Amino acid sequence: MRPLSRDKADMLLLLFSCGLVLLLHVGHLPAWVFPSCAAILLWRGWITFRGNRMPPHWILLPVALLAMGGVFASYRTWFGRDAGVAMLALLLTLKLLEMHARRDLFVALFLSFFLILAGYFYSQSIGTALLTIVAVLAILTTQLSFQYTGTVPPLAQRLRLGAKILLLAAPLMLALFVLFPRIQGPLWGMPDDAQAGRSGLSDTMSPGNIARLALSDEIAFRVKFFDPVPAKSQLYWRGIVLGKYDGRTWSPPQAHQGGGQIVINTRGAPTRYQVTLEPHGRRWLFALDVPRALPILAGNPAVATPDLQLLSSQPISDRVRYDATSFVDFDLQPNAPPSVLPQWLELPPGFNPRTQALAAQLRSQADNNEEIIHAALRLFREQGFRYTLEPPPLGRHAVDEFLFSTRAGFCEHYSGAFVVLMRASGIPARVVTGYQGGEINPADGFLTVRQSDAHAWAEVWLDRRGWVRVDPTAAVSPDRVERNLASVIPRRAFGGLITLDGSRSAWIARLRQNWEAVTNAWNQWVLNYTPEKQRNFFRALGFDKVDWRTMAIVMLAVGAAVMAAILLPLLAGRPKRDPIDATYQSLCRRMAKLGYPRAPHEGPRAYGARLSAHDSPLPTATKAAIGRFLALYETVRYGAPEKAPLSYLSQLKTLLAECR
Amino acid sequence: MLSALEHSIRKRASKWLFRLRGAETGEVFLNQRRVFIMPTHPGLIFCVMLFALFIASVNYNLSLGFGFTFLIAGCALVDMYLTFRNLAYLHLAAGRAKPVFAGEHAQFELHLINRRNYDRYAIWLDFAADDRPELAQAADVAAHASRSVVLATPAHARGWLPAPRVRLQTRFPLGLLRAWSYWQPDAQALVYPRPEDDAPPLPQAGVENGSGPAAAGQDDFAGIRGYQAGDSPRRLAWRHIAKIDIALGGPLVTKHFEGGTTTEIVIDLSALPHRLDLEVRLSRMTRWVIEAEARGLPYAFRLGDVNFPATLGPAHQDACLRALALFGKV
Repeated sequence: MRPLSRDKADMLLLLFSCGLVLLLHVGHLPAWVFPSCAAILLWRGWITFRGNRMPPHWILLPVALLAMGGVFASYRTWFGRDAGVAMLALLLTLKLLEMHARRDLFVALFLSFFLILAGYFYSQSIGTALLTIVAVLAILTTQLSFQYTGTVPPLAQRLRLGAKILLLAAPLMLALFVLFPRIQGPLWGMPDDAQAGRSGLSDTMSPGNIARLALSDEIAFRVKFFDPVPAKSQLYWRGIVLGKYDGRTWSPPQAHQGGGQIVINTRGAPTRYQVTLEPHGRRWLFALDVPRALPILAGNPAVATPDLQLLSSQPISDRVRYDATSFVDFDLQPNAPPSVLPQWLELPPGFNPRTQALAAQLRSQADNNEEIIHAALRLFREQGFRYTLEPPPLGRHAVDEFLFSTRAGFCEHYSGAFVVLMRASGIPARVVTGYQGGEINPADGFLTVRQSDAHAWAEVWLDRRGWVRVDPTAAVSPDRVERNLASVIPRRAFGGLITLDGSRSAWIARLRQNWEAVTNAWNQWVLNYTPEKQRNFFRALGFDKVDWRTMAIVMLAVGAAVMAAILLPLLAGRPKRDPIDATYQSLCRRMAKLGYPRAPHEGPRAYGARLSAHDSPLPTATKAAIGRFLALYETVRYGAPEKAPLSYLSQLKTLLAECR
Repeated sequence: MLSALEHSIRKRASKWLFRLRGAETGEVFLNQRRVFIMPTHPGLIFCVMLFALFIASVNYNLSLGFGFTFLIAGCALVDMYLTFRNLAYLHLAAGRAKPVFAGEHAQFELHLINRRNYDRYAIWLDFAADDRPELAQAADVAAHASRSVVLATPAHARGWLPAPRVRLQTRFPLGLLRAWSYWQPDAQALVYPRPEDDAPPLPQAGVENGSGPAAAGQDDFAGIRGYQAGDSPRRLAWRHIAKIDIALGGPLVTKHFEGGTTTEIVIDLSALPHRLDLEVRLSRMTRWVIEAEARGLPYAFRLGDVNFPATLGPAHQDACLRALALFGKV
């Protein structure tokens, strides 16, 4: 096979680079876009390979219109982020079909750069970063391949040059990344679809939603504890408080009526920790039970509701981090005003008659509210209730069916049924959803809380004790609270072929933990480098008051240092001047200053002869010194080196000093 | 007048800015102060794109977007250094320039010497005043190697033609920046007068002593010359022709005889009519020198103080043409 001509090889390289860039978008483009792009790339590759003519405009135009129509059909719009990305991908490939001049090469390359950035809307993982580096390397290699005029080195050598550019750019990137003044976005409104496809707790609870989450391995948040980690049974990450029940779905209370003052009595030492929350597109923040103060989020102040939910002002659309200090031993609203309690007693009329009857029975048998609670929990424990992710479906009287016939359910069933039972017996109660537990990653010591740790529990209000947490699920499956969901219900991967069971395949678990630690470090240090974190970094460097001027100065200084570090080794290849020649040059300069410059054609001997000629007005001593200097210089430079005295350099310098 | 003023200001400004200077003898070293660098058109668009990428990263809080933007900005900075290095620290030397006739192109040979241990690619050379990019020559210079490039410029007038100022540029490796430098090579080409197109026949048989025209002598065999229409077939130099195959396009040659001194060719400026312009006379003499040489007729040459006896050969021809080129010039 004959080697490809240079133009063809360059073009194929360009197509390869564009293909790599498009690879970043495989996951989220509509099903037809990626195959279309791939087909166009292959078409272009075939044209290049065979040396055919480019398709004429009357073919290209319908193809382009078809692509635009397709985008509109998929998104019902041409604007917005997702439609824009699809358009950009199609534009890039179509541009390749009408490349003529060198200018078009740059258009294609610059479009590729935009597409790479657009890829970060969807994923900013380590894998994306690695693919980006490969793509940039390919683009650089393509770009420089087009610049050769005569000889073109083999691809490996061009790749090396591309890699060299990339490696030299890396320290600059690091310096800029850390030091370039960060501005908190967004600068303008986010498109509506920016938050699509996030998973997490929803703001309502109906049978099945948490069970569905329990199958998700996605990470909800990570916690770094500064104090000893509380016992697993105390790790209740409080999220959403649900008080309104329509017979099937729990939702938040409509308005927070007359919350007044929230009285919290705390006991014991608080626990300090830092939460790194994955974006979930909603406003709530998670904390252990009772935080001492509101978390501080830059540009997104948090508030607390009377029922002790933490809410941010803006939806959490980016990974955020906040410090919190929580008490796990406390009394919440021990003396709540009677006016706020009725709303936690409401039940929809006409639902669950058997539960109402059971509640009346419990009430008549018990002396006080505590006894009712214990009786209810005993019911769950002793009446053959099962804990399962796949409960049988429930009908109109969901709680009745659950309590008296199916007796199989997930935490949402238990907490919901429990709260209904409590309310029916006249005890103010509410459902709280959030996360329970988490897994300490031994690799970096962070507690990882996954979507599968999502949990629902109940809170009941008792006189003088305030709101008390009751977890009916724990009565049925204590393991769920003491250990992890993973150990209660084996987690399956790869369609059930491998059971990710800690005891059986420890190395898989370890691998997973290590990988997650790496991902966490990536999240903490790369993705979560916010203006605030940047300020902290500057503070750690010793700049107390950080404004943009300080940042700019530091950035310039570090940038200069980095540039110097890169360039000095490259500049070091300069030839050093021979010290002997240097002495000769300084002699010539000295004589030139006295008015006897060396003519360009004069060698040392002729020059010396002219300087020490009889008619030269130089002092005799100088003439003698010059003569001896030049004699020694000639010996060292042109004569036999072995005849030169060992200390010739210092002798030359001494003689040079005498030439005045 | 205003445009003339502007032109002069621009010229002075660029002279100051680019440190234009006269011809430099010997080997010239392009130190970093002589190399200039500016973004190209794609480079400027690249800057705009970087800004757009940065804004997008801010707006969507894309940490990886910042990293990516800074990475390719870093690549552009590295490109700036590499482009600069591709041209700077190059040694330049002027090579030979062969004499040419006026109206032809003078060819200047220029040597690019790379004493560094990295290869240099895609260095474009042209004459700064030409402004015809299609005439530029591209050169690659390997590490520790040298490369010569020949640049042509039209030679209009006889005399010494100094090499015009050379511009060296490169966009390698990424094409985002252009580094350039100017160099005035210390080279000059000798430009002979343009040979007259329809010159009268050679001044034979002592035109100068007024004894009337006479055919070239027939007494002594004096050499051979190319066949001319009207030559007697008896005079064809068959032995010569036999050596060169006519079928292959070899020329016919005629034996050439010379009789005594009267048939000597003397190319003499003072023998030409004074009413003719000097340049025309020189031009005619140039043609005669070429023709006499081509026909193998020894010729004497007289031009002002120059007085060469009749002879033949490249050295004689060059001396005559040189005298013609420099006649009246300092």
